[in-house]
Amino acid sequence: MSGLHQAWYFLRAAWRGLLGSPLPSLVSIATIAVAVIPLGGLAIITGNMRALLDRQGESRQVTAFLDVGLEPEQEAALARRAASLRGVARVELVTREAALARFRDRLGGGALLEALEENPLPASLEITLAPGADRAEEAGAVAAALRALPGVEQVAGGEAWVEGYARALALVRGAGLGLGAILALATLLIVANTIRLAVYARREELDILALVGASRTFLRVPYLIEGAIQGTAGGLLGVLLLYGLYRIAVPQLGDALELFLGWSEPRFLAPASVAALVAGGAAFGLVGAAVAVARTRVS
Amino acid sequence: MTGRVPAAPPAPRPPVRPIARRPGGDPLIRLFHVSKAYATGTFALRDLSLEIRKGELVFLTGPSGAGKTTLMKLLFAAERPSEGQILVLGRNVARLGERRIPALRRRIGVVFQDFKLIPTRTVEENVALALEVVGRPPREVRSKVFAMLRRVGLQHRRHELPPALSGGEQQRVALARALVNEPAILLADEPTGNLDPELTIEIMDLIAAAAARGTTVLVATHDHALIRRYARRTLRLEAGRLVEDVPGAAR
Repeated sequence: MSGLHQAWYFLRAAWRGLLGSPLPSLVSIATIAVAVIPLGGLAIITGNMRALLDRQGESRQVTAFLDVGLEPEQEAALARRAASLRGVARVELVTREAALARFRDRLGGGALLEALEENPLPASLEITLAPGADRAEEAGAVAAALRALPGVEQVAGGEAWVEGYARALALVRGAGLGLGAILALATLLIVANTIRLAVYARREELDILALVGASRTFLRVPYLIEGAIQGTAGGLLGVLLLYGLYRIAVPQLGDALELFLGWSEPRFLAPASVAALVAGGAAFGLVGAAVAVARTRVS
Repeated sequence: MTGRVPAAPPAPRPPVRPIARRPGGDPLIRLFHVSKAYATGTFALRDLSLEIRKGELVFLTGPSGAGKTTLMKLLFAAERPSEGQILVLGRNVARLGERRIPALRRRIGVVFQDFKLIPTRTVEENVALALEVVGRPPREVRSKVFAMLRRVGLQHRRHELPPALSGGEQQRVALARALVNEPAILLADEPTGNLDPELTIEIMDLIAAAAARGTTVLVATHDHALIRRYARRTLRLEAGRLVEDVPGAAR
């Protein structure tokens, strides 16, 4: 007995099955696609939220704006104090003049700046955090310590929103997992029943195959392949539809997206996530088919 | 061998002729006090004992409901006996595990009155099934199927679908499928029940040819003309009991 010949037979039988009962196959594919859309949507949202948090963390920077009235020596002393704080890797002092120069650069000069009689910008300490430790917590602690220093007017970075945002992300992710589990179960049941209908439609054929000595494996493998093909097709269709929806929805949701993502550009699923969704679809089809055939008896 | 079948109600048994012992092969089919009762309590077979030897062509006859089809089903393990033991090709079918049934069926060809062909597959594909389930290479499948179809005279119709064929042709396809794997046993349940007399002879000649090649054949039929014409050993069932076992030579 040759495994290759058998595999070829199984593939042909699965293909024949798909073409032989197109309607149940389409129902399975559509069901899986419909399940993939909300799961993929959640993956897009959490992915973008995660990316924002990561960017926030990657910059690993806290900025302390100093009182305008401080002398350069006092500013330098504050910079040294800041450098001695726990969790701080590096401190760069940006003097008022340097800040103005930077501002001018960004704005490209202009009449507005010419009109200023004196430099309104404060000096600042740009603090890079040490690697390690939890980003949000660490940044928060450094920010609090800086705020406590006399001469520090305001601290940016390590704000409470980062922590809150991280909690929101965890919540969205948790809800996603819950929703995913429910969707997975519902999809599995629908796919299993749809494939079961296909099995029943070909019951006579299965009986005939059993009559000529087909083993259980021989009878079942084509349905498993069929399920996996339907699942893969469903996964791909779901991702395609999701992309379509994404392209339509993103421009419509401008303000809401800004609220969630700040100024960052929203991104679609990463290739690895697309692959995971398609593989998930295939797994759904396969498991659905396995459930269906396990419950089918032939004479 | 003696034994009792407790489930069978005591009923007067008609005399049964002793099983004819002919020179020839070993017994390929042996039944020992086999009974088959359904959940409703009705008996399809009662205390059936018989032996069929290698290369024999045996007719199984009797009125409708006598148990012919049930006996056939027991032999290829589509059903299990309620009582007794069944040895087919040296295996105890009564105790055969689910997983071992396919291996048994690959050595038994089965033909039914309603042909049991897959209407959406061509003649060639239908016949090939018996070889594909055992994983034969495609080249071997093609050549064996072609040779088999030539034997039943249908090689020119191999690319057609069964519904395009006449009843006699469909039964020849079914026969080709049953024989293509060179089974040790051929079971034919009313194989000519749907056919006119001329086609009946045609099919029966093919079955007899298989027996002549060494296949053990059991043909269930209520066509007495057919039984007379071929004058082979005949088992007669009535109400699930074997009431007659007439050796072919006696006819």
